[in-house]
Amino acid sequence: MNSRMDSFHFRFEALGSGCEVVIGSGSKKNAQSIAGCAIEEVSRIECKYSRYRTDSLVSRINAAAGHDWVECDEETLSLFQYADTLYESSGGLFDITAGVLRHAWDFGNAVVPGQDVLSRQCSLINWQSVERQGNSVRLPVAGMEFDFGGFGKEYAADRAAALVYRKGVRNGYVNLAGDIRVLGPKLDETPWLIGIQDPRHKSRTIASIPLFTGALATSGDYERYFEVDGHRYCHIIHPRSGYPVTYWRSVTVVAPLAITAGSCSTIAMLKEADGLAFLEDSGMGYLAVDHLGEMYCRNTSSGF
Amino acid sequence: MVSVATTKSTVLATALATAAIALPSLQFAFAEAAPDQGVVSFKYLHYQDSQIGNGVNVITGASSAGSSSRMGVNAYSMTASVPVAGEWSIGTTFTSDSVSGASPMYHSSNLTKMTDLRRAIDVELTRYFSSGTLSFGTGYSKESDYLSRSYSFQGSLSTEDKNTTFTLGGSLNSDNIFPVTNPNAYYSKKLYSGIFGITRILTKNDIVQFNVGYSNGNGDFSDPYKFYDNRPTRRNNTTILTRWNHHFDWTDGTAKLSYRYYTDTFGIRAHTLEGEYVQPLSNGWTVTPLLRLYSQSEADFYVAVGAVEKADPTQPTPPPADAVYYSEDQRLSAFGAITLGLKVSKSLNQDWLVDLKYEEYEQRGKWSVYGNSDKGLAPFGARSIQVGLSRKL
Repeated sequence: MNSRMDSFHFRFEALGSGCEVVIGSGSKKNAQSIAGCAIEEVSRIECKYSRYRTDSLVSRINAAAGHDWVECDEETLSLFQYADTLYESSGGLFDITAGVLRHAWDFGNAVVPGQDVLSRQCSLINWQSVERQGNSVRLPVAGMEFDFGGFGKEYAADRAAALVYRKGVRNGYVNLAGDIRVLGPKLDETPWLIGIQDPRHKSRTIASIPLFTGALATSGDYERYFEVDGHRYCHIIHPRSGYPVTYWRSVTVVAPLAITAGSCSTIAMLKEADGLAFLEDSGMGYLAVDHLGEMYCRNTSSGF
Repeated sequence: MVSVATTKSTVLATALATAAIALPSLQFAFAEAAPDQGVVSFKYLHYQDSQIGNGVNVITGASSAGSSSRMGVNAYSMTASVPVAGEWSIGTTFTSDSVSGASPMYHSSNLTKMTDLRRAIDVELTRYFSSGTLSFGTGYSKESDYLSRSYSFQGSLSTEDKNTTFTLGGSLNSDNIFPVTNPNAYYSKKLYSGIFGITRILTKNDIVQFNVGYSNGNGDFSDPYKFYDNRPTRRNNTTILTRWNHHFDWTDGTAKLSYRYYTDTFGIRAHTLEGEYVQPLSNGWTVTPLLRLYSQSEADFYVAVGAVEKADPTQPTPPPADAVYYSEDQRLSAFGAITLGLKVSKSLNQDWLVDLKYEEYEQRGKWSVYGNSDKGLAPFGARSIQVGLSRKL
């Protein structure tokens, strides 16, 4: 029996960006079939939770805001439970009803909205007002919206990686647009080296983080933004002021799960100047670049 | 100093991590997966010990003083493990040792020539579950005058986050000796052992382990081939073991440190401190230097060379007149020992691995941290070389 192993790379488009599954396997056919399952899982989560798809569960709940209760399944209820912890842990900064602000901020046309528009949208942000009873959920005010975009991608990376792992793969990773969950080291037992993009130079990296296992996620002000009068407006928006955060250019967190890494990096972005203390106390490894380009890091190689 | 804010943040980060773990199907399902490949390995070991100095003499050997090579062992072993039905694995080891050399009848003297052949087989069956493993093993070992059987079980259980593993095991060993020097004699002993351990992954780079073992032995512990050897018929021992493995990212090497404390009802207390550093190099090479420090106290009933006045120095020391138990086996004296080793291995490709291991052992009475060494004993040394070859199937 020939058991020579190789790493097979599969690239695909999902969640609006480039994604990749890497699988160490003795046969290409086997790797292909496993990668297929992983891609299918990512696509399933996208179809179910994307607010850009009118047929998604999230769009159905959003459409019923102010009116009907919508019954949810086990998976969705557990994600609401997680969202609740996110809200509590971030002092209300990470709120999955904050997606309404994206209607005010038009990144395509680079227009800074007026204060009245922002105030109106901010009044629709209120996770604590969301009604949950048994298996059903209801947004109490018309116009309120859920947005799972804050952790959906990381959740998908973790789900897909766990699926691949259950199929016996022990070397490889799942990378959904930079949110990475590692299955295990390279075939030669060395770590995967994850390059961290320079937030101001798309083609450059500022660091390379070795990962044997665990996960890594980055939030930054460079993914989606526009500039007006030298001021940068990015897509991570403070739920109270209604304005994009400005303190950090990027925050990368290393954690056991992609969803934890992603949540911590986003909370640090939202906490602005207090983000560093949050990262330091989180016990996880991080690499953060502030608005002046200053880098802060802690033990990204043994962050958990 | 921990401020209130710090404590709060840490609690929040922990809450986040805990909440994430509660999400369905994010965790990798198996703590320890059943192997998906079989392995066959072959090892050859050569061991030779020697004792240098006065007081070493040989009845039938070439030298009566000075350096004397004693025991030499050549051992061949073959191990095979195969996965069965995805969740099981069976491992088997066959060992064949040929022993030749001289074993002292008392202290380090009166070496008697011996040659022997030992054959042993061990079989272990392991079942892998999502949160742990369960193993059963049995072993059988036979020499011309010796028969040993063993039965064991071990279970391990991992926590939900897979960071902590608890291990519980037990074994029974039954040994029988039929001394060639006395066809009418029959020696037997039974050993019941239990072990409990906790292994915890502290960080991505650190694993710590803590084990406690207890063993209850009943039967004949006396050595039928030695003069003046009458040992208690009960020997219970307790062992405490702590280990720490740390991976260095900047060298990609791993340091393995361990400390073991042993105490038994013979009155022996022993400390073992071991350090090993595994350094992978390019092209499949790995180099592992090893240092082991050992120190033990003497058994309560050990009779030192010259403990009692005797007329003839070449004769064994008679035990004190009021002694119930006595032994002149130098392994029961107070001593310390240093082992230096080096292992070099090379993977030829994904399937084949060769390794070579050399160890040098030195033992001295005065190296015992407990003092009270037997100054009449000569230094003892041994060296061993092992060659191994393994192939994945």
